[in-house]
Amino acid sequence: MAATEAFTLVFVGAGAVLFLAGTLGLLRFPDTLSRLHALSKADNLGLGLVVVGLLPQCESVTGALKLVCVWLLAQLSAATASQLIAGAVYRRKPGP
Amino acid sequence: MLLYYQAITTIAGDLDQPWKPMTPAIGSRPLSSVLARGLGFLLLWIVLIGAKPVDLAVGLAAAAAASWASELLWPAHGEIAPLGLLRFVLRFLPQSVVAGADVARRAFAPRPALQPGLVACRTALPAGTARRAMCAVMSLQPGKLPVAVDPDDMLQIHCLDRSEPIREQTAADEAAFCGMLRDGGRRG
Repeated sequence: MAATEAFTLVFVGAGAVLFLAGTLGLLRFPDTLSRLHALSKADNLGLGLVVVGLLPQCESVTGALKLVCVWLLAQLSAATASQLIAGAVYRRKPGP
Repeated sequence: MLLYYQAITTIAGDLDQPWKPMTPAIGSRPLSSVLARGLGFLLLWIVLIGAKPVDLAVGLAAAAAASWASELLWPAHGEIAPLGLLRFVLRFLPQSVVAGADVARRAFAPRPALQPGLVACRTALPAGTARRAMCAVMSLQPGKLPVAVDPDDMLQIHCLDRSEPIREQTAADEAAFCGMLRDGGRRG
């Protein structure tokens, strides 16, 4: 097995574990705000690892840049979405 | 995907809060800066879609629209220092690894090791786009999720473990974020 393929396997596998962790957190954490932590943080790292793992498989530089852009845009939207949900939850239930 | 679904369903039932416009841009920027920004958007389009002439025509229109929107929405004092941005990214990347690993450790634990709760932290950033951006960035950092800002400039931060030094971490995150802004975040 070539080194690049081993690299891809390790990183994409680690990314999948992180996605599993995010989903486990969604199911196991006790309240909405804690679940948001799980989804926004674990999934972002998972996607980042998948992207890093796939970079050596790209056929062109633009293909690699596109993957990185996908990751950045997903981070941006995850951060914004979790802010909006957290704010909505906070306004509905004032106080901890 | 789950996150976006949750966002839409939560916000759909919560539109009582009126939408507040972002900090308005004061004065207009020089043409060269608008053109540079448009070129950046066009490059992003080419990376995402490709450089076929048919696509490029749509890309030009999209880049023009994006420049116009960013001119309207980006705050007037929001210049970003390139060196500060680099420093910020070099801190942000390892921090997001720590954040993801921390959540994964808690999620896989036989009994989720959590002490969730809200911690109030003072912020020096005035209300505006910069503060909102800082809160969004902070929500990707380990253990913290800003949920709201009280009128007295207190950030309400939800954390997974209240025993951690949340106030110190928040201050460090804020300092790193402000280091990226050319005016140090004094004007929001």
